[in-house]
Amino acid sequence: MNSIILATVSRLLTGLLLVFSVFLLLRGHNLPGGGFSGGLVAASAFVLASFASGFPAARRLLVVPPRVIMGFGLVVALVAGLAGNVAGYPFLTGLWDTTLFPVVGKLGTPLFFDVGVYFAVLGVTTLIVFSLGEDSEEED
Amino acid sequence: MENLPIIILASVFVAAFLAPALHRVLGDRCGLVLSLVPLAGAWVYAEMVPRIMAGQPFVYRHAWVPSLGISLDFRIDGLSLLFLLLISVIGVFVTWYAAGYLAGKKDLGRFYLYLFGFMGSMLGVVSADHLVLLFVFWELTSISSYLLIGYYHNEAKSRAAALQALLVTGAGGLCLLAGVILLGRMAGTFLISELLAMDAAALVAQPGFTTVLILILLGAFTKSAQFPFHFWLPNAMTAPAPVSAYLHSATMVKAGVFLLARLFPLLSASPLWFPIVAPVGAVTMITGVVMALGQNDLKKILAYTTVGVLGTLTMLLGIGTELAVKAAMAYLLAHAIYKAALFMTSGTIDHETGVRDPDLLGGLRRAMPFTAAAALVGGLSMAGVPLLLGFVSKEYFYKALLDAQGAGVLWEVLGVGASVVMVAAAITAGIKPFWGKLLPTPKHAHEAPWTMWLGPVLLGVAGIKTGLFPSYAGAGLVGPAAAAVLGDGGFVADLKLWHGWTTALGLSAVTVLLGLGLYALLPRIRAARGIFGGLARLGPEHGYDNLLSGLLAFARWQTSVLQNGYLRNYILTVVMFTVVLVGWMLPGVVPSPDWDTMVRPHVLTVTVCLLIMAGAIFACLTSSRFTAILALGVVGVGIAMLYFMFSAPDLAMTQVLVETLTLVLFVLAFYRLPVFGNYSKKSVKIRDAILAAVFGTVMAMVVLVEQSSRAADNAVSRFMGENSLALANGRNVVNVILVDFRALDTLGEITVLAIAALGVFAMLRLRPGRGGKEDR
Repeated sequence: MNSIILATVSRLLTGLLLVFSVFLLLRGHNLPGGGFSGGLVAASAFVLASFASGFPAARRLLVVPPRVIMGFGLVVALVAGLAGNVAGYPFLTGLWDTTLFPVVGKLGTPLFFDVGVYFAVLGVTTLIVFSLGEDSEEED
Repeated sequence: MENLPIIILASVFVAAFLAPALHRVLGDRCGLVLSLVPLAGAWVYAEMVPRIMAGQPFVYRHAWVPSLGISLDFRIDGLSLLFLLLISVIGVFVTWYAAGYLAGKKDLGRFYLYLFGFMGSMLGVVSADHLVLLFVFWELTSISSYLLIGYYHNEAKSRAAALQALLVTGAGGLCLLAGVILLGRMAGTFLISELLAMDAAALVAQPGFTTVLILILLGAFTKSAQFPFHFWLPNAMTAPAPVSAYLHSATMVKAGVFLLARLFPLLSASPLWFPIVAPVGAVTMITGVVMALGQNDLKKILAYTTVGVLGTLTMLLGIGTELAVKAAMAYLLAHAIYKAALFMTSGTIDHETGVRDPDLLGGLRRAMPFTAAAALVGGLSMAGVPLLLGFVSKEYFYKALLDAQGAGVLWEVLGVGASVVMVAAAITAGIKPFWGKLLPTPKHAHEAPWTMWLGPVLLGVAGIKTGLFPSYAGAGLVGPAAAAVLGDGGFVADLKLWHGWTTALGLSAVTVLLGLGLYALLPRIRAARGIFGGLARLGPEHGYDNLLSGLLAFARWQTSVLQNGYLRNYILTVVMFTVVLVGWMLPGVVPSPDWDTMVRPHVLTVTVCLLIMAGAIFACLTSSRFTAILALGVVGVGIAMLYFMFSAPDLAMTQVLVETLTLVLFVLAFYRLPVFGNYSKKSVKIRDAILAAVFGTVMAMVVLVEQSSRAADNAVSRFMGENSLALANGRNVVNVILVDFRALDTLGEITVLAIAALGVFAMLRLRPGRGGKEDR
């Protein structure tokens, strides 16, 4: 797929989609959005990039291999859950800071958990799409 | 520093996970650094001896899963301490030994990971005071033992032996879990110390206690290789020598005996205890020593005599008198010391000469003097020669048998018979290879590095010291251990070297003489090895093989039926089961729709619904795959619009994103799919159409039922709605449910997603035939 239009548009859209995905992630606790849909939007940004300029370029854009992103997400979610244990509550108990931050609102471990979900979903989706895509390219 | 024993336990696990990195940095020397951890452990445990002797157990409690009443409860009493010392001290020696034995192996780091993982689990088993915690550590020993037995993982025999050990002990572990849960519920507590303080007679009299007893015994018997589960232990000798020395003589196989001893005050109150445990132990003892006679491999001889000793210990606990328990503890200590040394020295022989057949070995004492000395002491102790701990423990063994009820003189006959074989085996394994004429060996024999002989030599010193002055070991270790087993705080045991001219002493002398005679006959017995092979084939291992192959055949059959690789069949099965399971509950509960009160649907909603239906029908009828995919896309987007109309923007958004990515995946896979053809027969199509219609009807009815019952009972959604902001600081209830209320579900889901993605990755990128291309 060597479309100049697609390539030009994707350069703009990839960035926009990524910003949008972070936006979704951060507002998720109070408004529609969250780590799951944010992660999917981020993944579609990279999928778009891969369609426009090929899988190697998309991988370079991602910098870190999808598997590592996936593992990172799982670890973040787990650590966010363990924070409850450290504070002496059961696993996955949400801990909250009471100060209000702009955009995000209150900060708490559930937000970090959601960040973990975001990265896990991003990693899973890109891993599957890249594996499938590169495999079909090799066979061609 | 009150909690030092717990810190030691934790640091053993930490050391396990540091081992691979440490090995990368330090190479073969990493074992010496790692051994500092069990060394510190041995120090800490030794410091505890006076306190335990004074009858003050160490107790540590920490909440773990409070909602299930599971906590990290540890309690160290005399019995625990005896095991803790054995595990840590022999652990140090084995760690050194492995540094020499496996020197230069590139996965030595991995070996230490498993070994220390095992060490920690074993320390956990013997110091746990909570039945569930004990079970968790118990299973960890099974798993780490599996990894250790299969250390030479590119040898099929190793893998089979590891699997066999795992399956046998794992099956026993499941029985133990069931037994432990039943026992805990029956008694109302999972704390072992509380259980043992209860009125055993009342507990035993409860209905169902027999089940508990049998389940727990099955767990203990499989772990401790009791007949008919004994066969895995000799097979496990495919493991490297340090593993055999550690797991299969000194520690893990004694976990079953430990469990019997731990729960002794409770379980032995059952009238079934003696008639089950004592005979099983006796049969195991005889099986072990008889099979040992026919072996021509040092390790196998030691393995079968270990089976024999495990039987002896079980038998003594089964007899259950004060004297028998004391004898069991003394025997256990003596056996751990001499057998670990002998396993290591026979491993050294194998390592330095390449031979394990005792007939082909001789005169090695000049080449390897330290190993020879250690083996000599170990062998003499095993044979029960005076001035060694083995002698003292055998005296008590005979005294306990002379004192035992229930089988008359048979006890003594069995006991002496087994010990006679032990003498012959001890000479074969500990003395024969080093003395007499030097026999040529494939490798030129020379002394092993100090890491490999220092441990056995120190064990030999321990055997001599405790043999000469048994009262120290008696008062410090064996006595408190026996007192803990008997649940009797006031019981003080002492070990003595000299008891006067007793019957036991006479039996000991007879044993050694008969043993010497048997040793002289050994070559002739071994010549008839065919008989032993036949015995083994008739044995329970045959049953294990049949069971396993039957199970595998069944698994193959049901996989080919249920997992046949056709997506349409999977969907068919899922839909059919849903229809049947949900459908038969529906009659009677489906309300007749109340047309008058229903809200008239908006024209937009109707349009979207019609669009979805059109898309679905079109996808079924089209003869082009591409249009079918697009039609399904229409269905998906239509559903997303419905979500949006019914104010579920989160669901709508996710649905659209998933639809988009699904389309992408379809496109990527598109060219790899076979030509779109018409494969199904007309009858199949009609069947599918009927099933689809039924499924749709059932789902519609479910919605009706759900609608009518919703008004009455919406406690869950009301709770979520009301508490979302108050408890979880979020206004988006969907997201709050995902990341807070049901965060554990989410964690599980993303883990499953990750596993699925790895599965896709493995199938596409790592499959054979891709020529080992670089994979990322």
